Amino acid sequence: MSDDKKQTHHEDDKDMIKLIDNLNRKDDVHLNRRAFLKASFGATVAIGLATTPFGIFTFLRDENGEVKRVEVTDIDDLAIGESRNFNYPTKNEPAILVRTPDDKFVAYNNKCTHLQCPVFYEHKENVLLCPCHKGYFNVDSGQPMAGPPQRELPKILLEIKDGKVYAVGREIRHG
Amino acid sequence: MDKKRAAFFSIFLFLAVNVFALSNAIEGYYGHEDGRVYGAVTVALISTLLATVAFFIWKKAEYKK
Ligand code: FES
Repeated sequence: MSDDKKQTHHEDDKDMIKLIDNLNRKDDVHLNRRAFLKASFGATVAIGLATTPFGIFTFLRDENGEVKRVEVTDIDDLAIGESRNFNYPTKNEPAILVRTPDDKFVAYNNKCTHLQCPVFYEHKENVLLCPCHKGYFNVDSGQPMAGPPQRELPKILLEIKDGKVYAVGREIRHG
Repeated sequence: MDKKRAAFFSIFLFLAVNVFALSNAIEGYYGHEDGRVYGAVTVALISTLLATVAFFIWKKAEYKK
């Protein structure tokens, strides 16, 4: 190494010493292994405890028991391959009842799980179609088949009794 | 691995478990899947308890003379 270079190195070292002099003592005290572990532990506790409100609200919601029994239609009023709109479980939640080609009744809330457009029954292709962005749902399961929707449509549980179709409950995630 | 190191690293494990449990609790809550919510809350509380134990084990070892 030439003397010249040595010289600059020496200068650099001097600069480094100055840097150390300037070292922010506060950071030194607060950003270390112990503090890091304590912060991580705090985060663990905070995130762990953050689950409890969800448990409590779920429990309270249970108590309200929102199972309602609503008559939707007469079986004879709906031909095979037809659909009918109704509201369930509240007036503000639109739903669709379909009598499928193999003569089964299925019902879903017909708010698309993408951006909440109404979903229609396509008789020819036997699918539920959301026209907004061409989302397709399987009629038999309510699961998304194509297009942007990622989640299934909430399924409405049905009961058929004395020639009438009743809505008796709802499953938001299913299948 | 000695006790102190194990306690140290287990806290990060419990942190990961809790993040996972919280996401499950939220998904279960909005999906009306009650069982999933209760499961996630149980897991989170147990793992938080274990993390607390691990933290005190580590603390005792770290600060002993
Ligand atoms: S709202 Fe149904 S596909 Fe976008």
